[in-house]
Amino acid sequence: MLPGGVFNTRYDSDLAILRTRTHWVLLAVALVVVFTVPLFADDYWLGILIDMGIAIVAVLGLHILSGLCGLISIAQAAFVGVGAYTVAILTTQLGLNSWLCLPISALSAGLVGLFFGLPCFRLKGFYLVISTLAAHFVIIWCFEHFDSFTGGFRGLHLDPLSLGPIDLRSRGAFYLLTTAVVVLAAFLVKNIQRTAPGRAFVAIRDNELAAEVSGIPVFRYKMLAFFIGCLFAGVAGWLWAYFQRSVAPSHFQLIDSIWYIGMLIVGGWGTTTGVFFGAISLSFLDVLLKDYINPALVKSLPPDWAGQISVSTGLILFGGIIIAFMILEPRGLYYRWEKLKSYYRLHPYSHIPVPVKDDEEKEGEMDDSLG
Amino acid sequence: MKESGRNRLLGDQDTVARGLRPRGMRRTVAVVSVVAAIAVGCLALFLRLPVDDRDQAMQAIVDGIMKGGVYALVALGVVVVYKSSKVFNLAHGAILMLLAYFTWWLLAPTDLPLWTALIIVGATSVVIGLVIDRLMMRPMIGQSGLTTFILTMVLGFSVVQGIAVLLFGGDPRPMPSIFPSGRLTVGSITVQYPWLSAFIAAAAMFLVFVTYFRYTRGGLAMRAVSEDPVVSQSLGIAVKRIFAIAWVVGCLSAAAGGLLLCSMNPVHQDLGNFAIIRALPVVLLGGIESIPGAFIGALIIGVAEMLAITYIDPHVTGFSMLLPFILIVVVLIIRPHGLFGLREIRRI
Repeated sequence: MLPGGVFNTRYDSDLAILRTRTHWVLLAVALVVVFTVPLFADDYWLGILIDMGIAIVAVLGLHILSGLCGLISIAQAAFVGVGAYTVAILTTQLGLNSWLCLPISALSAGLVGLFFGLPCFRLKGFYLVISTLAAHFVIIWCFEHFDSFTGGFRGLHLDPLSLGPIDLRSRGAFYLLTTAVVVLAAFLVKNIQRTAPGRAFVAIRDNELAAEVSGIPVFRYKMLAFFIGCLFAGVAGWLWAYFQRSVAPSHFQLIDSIWYIGMLIVGGWGTTTGVFFGAISLSFLDVLLKDYINPALVKSLPPDWAGQISVSTGLILFGGIIIAFMILEPRGLYYRWEKLKSYYRLHPYSHIPVPVKDDEEKEGEMDDSLG
Repeated sequence: MKESGRNRLLGDQDTVARGLRPRGMRRTVAVVSVVAAIAVGCLALFLRLPVDDRDQAMQAIVDGIMKGGVYALVALGVVVVYKSSKVFNLAHGAILMLLAYFTWWLLAPTDLPLWTALIIVGATSVVIGLVIDRLMMRPMIGQSGLTTFILTMVLGFSVVQGIAVLLFGGDPRPMPSIFPSGRLTVGSITVQYPWLSAFIAAAAMFLVFVTYFRYTRGGLAMRAVSEDPVVSQSLGIAVKRIFAIAWVVGCLSAAAGGLLLCSMNPVHQDLGNFAIIRALPVVLLGGIESIPGAFIGALIIGVAEMLAITYIDPHVTGFSMLLPFILIVVVLIIRPHGLFGLREIRRI
């Protein structure tokens, strides 16, 4: 729903990402706030924000693949790993420039994604999910067993990143880099959504046979979705490699891929804004859990449980929240946000039910989109 | 009725049937010939081996069959739930692990007699099945298979896994042996008694489930519900109760599978992943809807795994860990509906 007095009179305005002057002002304020965070946040919070930014980049890729095109992949963490390992191997063993490795690691993750996306030629629905599950374990197996390149279980260590004379080792500088990447990636995804391939993805998600009958080359677009989704994963992997300065097979686990899917579900399936909602809410929940809930539990429960509490409460809490969202609010936080906005815009007449539906982004109920 | 009169009456259908037959026949002939060629090839390869290697191969195959029997029981739980409610239960492995830990806890630290422990584990698995059905699966009735698939995935890989680790710690624990130890030697092949007993127990339980599905009213109702829940409901079958029964049966088979798997390996926190990853190729190979298919698929997977451990692992470290995934992808690409499953037809 648009604010009062705003009408789409031309196609440009219908397609525009930012429509009103308020949007522009809000965007400018948000960008200023986001880029000045290092001035008043300490290293602990910057680390959390960097982690969150990397997750957002990876989930944006997954959003194109799963949210828009309807191909659910639970190998996203492994593709992030492919990106991270590519840059680690190229810089430590071949001595390549680390910035040159950014496109290379994105491309290599994309190509690996293309390879493991091939089964989607024949498979649909949960058969495809199972094949991506297999892809995850195959990729991790390769990390573990090609010791001469990947360092086996111990992994590899990277030199710190620098941009010319600027050293990006400090949390603040790296945070700025991550945020820039996040903003660029979000802009890119928004744009992909309103181009012909983006609309083709949505058509394939909504009804594959109908899309094929309408002349969309389904297989080609599915491969494209895999490629783009894994490109983002590769970029996220590059960031991850330089943030942690080490890569090991244990960093990229199946459960991370499930959290990525969970962020999509909690945020709102099939919307870019939802990706941010999901990633931000789950990341802050993680902080809450680690800093407040777990210590409280450790204090109140018998002492010999302390070891397992830190491992297991996160699994139970996040899994429970994702399941609760799937059952109770499959349209995710994004839908609630839209409802809130329309409530505010209609304020004196808020009791009038208004269909909450933005024309550009279809809010995704998983069941509608994955029939 | 006279033969000629009957023929005249059935004439039309007969020609239709004859028209349909050739394609099916050709497929069958093709499949049979491929299988026969593979079998003859394997036999020829086997006979060319020297005698010692032949014993080693036989040993691997027999061990594989024993393992396959237990995998079949694990996969059965997935098949039962899918067959009645069209929910692909990825949480099966984690539930199995939780129940295996619970069994270990009842038998080892608490030191209960075996039968009491078994009864308590059975009752617990019934409760778990009912809770999952009531709290998670019933609100999802009518949702697409993919949504419930993701729900069970999140349930299994995070919630149940977390609960098991929270309650039991997650360190590897040896299960007290419930079967007689020792080994049986026939010729040059030795079979450990626990493995043999596990196989026999698994096969027996498998037979019970197959009989239930095939010859009882409850089984018939389950098959009807899987075919079309709405029509079944209108014909007086209590569909919700059938779903609940399916989950209970699934959890019971998880308890049994956990007990038997742990007579081969200790209980540890990756047991859930291990079980579901072995069950997936079994289920896919046999066809998700097919119970006999699960058994045959499980034997094939078990034998393939043991052969890989014997022959490929010395050259490529850890290949047998990778094998299930390669099998999953190959089966999915070549024959997504499995050997005995039903091909899916999609319409707009």
